[in-house]
Amino acid sequence: MKLVGIAGSIADQSYNRTLLKFIAKHSQGIADIEVLDINAVPMFSQDDDQTNSEVIQNLSKKISDADGVIIATPEHNHTVPAALKNVIEWLSYEIHPFDGKPVMIVGASYHTQGSSRAQLHLRQILEAPGVNAIVLPGNEFLLGDVKTAFDENGDLKDKRTVNFLQTTLQKFIKFAKVINMIDKTSDYEDEDLSASNKTDTTVEGVDMNDENWLDKAAKKVNAVEGDTYVKLDSGLLTVNQINYLLKTTPIELTYVDENNQFIYYNRFLPTDKMLAKRTPAQVGDSLEAVHPGKERVIKHVKQVLNTLRNGETDLVSMPVPGNDADHHVMHYYKAMHDEEGNYKGVNEWAIDLKPIVNEYLKATGQKLVPDPDNKIDATSGASKKPTEAVETKPEVDATSGASEH
Amino acid sequence: MNKFIAIVGSNSKKSTNREFLQYMQSHFQNQAEIELVEIKDLPLYKKSADKYVPELALDIAKRIEAADGVIIATPEYDHSIPAALSSALAWLSYGIHPFVDKPVMITGASYGSLGSSRAQAQLRQILDSPEIKARIMPSSEFLLGHSLQAFDENGDLKDKQLITQLDGLFKDFLQFVNISKQLNNANVVNKQKAAEFSWDKD
Repeated sequence: MKLVGIAGSIADQSYNRTLLKFIAKHSQGIADIEVLDINAVPMFSQDDDQTNSEVIQNLSKKISDADGVIIATPEHNHTVPAALKNVIEWLSYEIHPFDGKPVMIVGASYHTQGSSRAQLHLRQILEAPGVNAIVLPGNEFLLGDVKTAFDENGDLKDKRTVNFLQTTLQKFIKFAKVINMIDKTSDYEDEDLSASNKTDTTVEGVDMNDENWLDKAAKKVNAVEGDTYVKLDSGLLTVNQINYLLKTTPIELTYVDENNQFIYYNRFLPTDKMLAKRTPAQVGDSLEAVHPGKERVIKHVKQVLNTLRNGETDLVSMPVPGNDADHHVMHYYKAMHDEEGNYKGVNEWAIDLKPIVNEYLKATGQKLVPDPDNKIDATSGASKKPTEAVETKPEVDATSGASEH
Repeated sequence: MNKFIAIVGSNSKKSTNREFLQYMQSHFQNQAEIELVEIKDLPLYKKSADKYVPELALDIAKRIEAADGVIIATPEYDHSIPAALSSALAWLSYGIHPFVDKPVMITGASYGSLGSSRAQAQLRQILDSPEIKARIMPSSEFLLGHSLQAFDENGDLKDKQLITQLDGLFKDFLQFVNISKQLNNANVVNKQKAAEFSWDKD
């Protein structure tokens, strides 16, 4: 689980930041917590809308991408610090990254109150319609007498406090999972095929749909090529070697990133010979541009992408329409994820299974006959069951290989 | 005649809370001298090792000290007072204590029907904190809802019933200010307590 922490203070020194850092350190293994910095956020003003500034966009993106948010608030004047309220105002004005986001409130203060009133105000603020966060009920964590609470390593000294914090955090993680499940949209219509949302690997400043996107984008990022070595997770190859390898892999491979941009295919056949036709000029296109005006296809693409993005399944497979006795072309869409489990796009491959089946039948002395129990309409698409059944021929000893005779 | 400082709780150029205070200023000109104070040029509150307070905040504090009372008009952002107002109040209680025992009247205007009711409730709690310790007029609330439609072209409130309510409340506030002037036995101690409030670290 990926969480972000916001310390509600811009003071140079902050016990609440210390508390958050302790929580981040202490929750390694159960949650990955990144502590965000709000120091550079300008004063909210309707007259000077800075929603699009880097600092606010960055906070918004981090919060949007997280599974939940932990806010540690000091207490000033019986309420949350103006600096914290200020951030929430920016993030509830033109953009709403907190909408539906699970939030846990903690707080530390000098005295016995432990920011109790600030936490109640913060609850009210987060419930406001423009913010609309989903705050973990109960489980108040108030750290009073904070001056003496930490040791020199920034660790909480009191064992019971640590245990309580641990329990609270575990509850929050469960809570966040449930809330995110409720909130998760299964509406495939939300898939943005125009790829306008950009991701951390999107090359900016080059028109995606430009025919020369590859050259322009490569230049923009100073991409390596030729004999430059690239270290892979289980090997060392030059760019040329990677190309040799991919171009001789007898499956049509396509890379679509998490932003629905088509960024690669292994061009080992000319376009007209391909099972799923691709052209070099299409590389870089948004998926919308790849499927111009094909309403029915676009709907289907969106459904497949959404299923993979939401993790409902990791693999969607389907025979393409128009297969005949000599061809059984399959399309496979496999979700890709990074080490932390974040969706990174689709590995799509197309392959004709018929030559493989033929080879198998030939090698094992079998043939295909219709299955009398077949309930599948072999001509219709998206079926997960095989469309042809293989039956053993009784007169051939199918169990022994040719070499054993 | 009593002199009041009226704090515009918004840093927007267009603010119905400012319009409302301007209305009060002219409407009550025979009963009190009301001076509007803007918070829009104050920086975002930040603690520092040397307890720096901006000149402007010191100046506002001086004017509050000298006044007989304070009127605050607050908008409502996210169920609470704007960060800009919250920040101003933090500056005005950071090593300086102009609000201690100062009579305060809370008002507020909002575009919607609720008239900043939640922000006002939070503001009451904020002004009651040990670092500010203002003397908030009890049992009074003035909520100006639908504030975009509330004023005529001369900047006067259109709703007669609201004006009657405001007149009554303001009269009460004048009384409250007078009574407050006699409730000053603990003032020295209160100021000291506010000054002792620890601010070093968040």
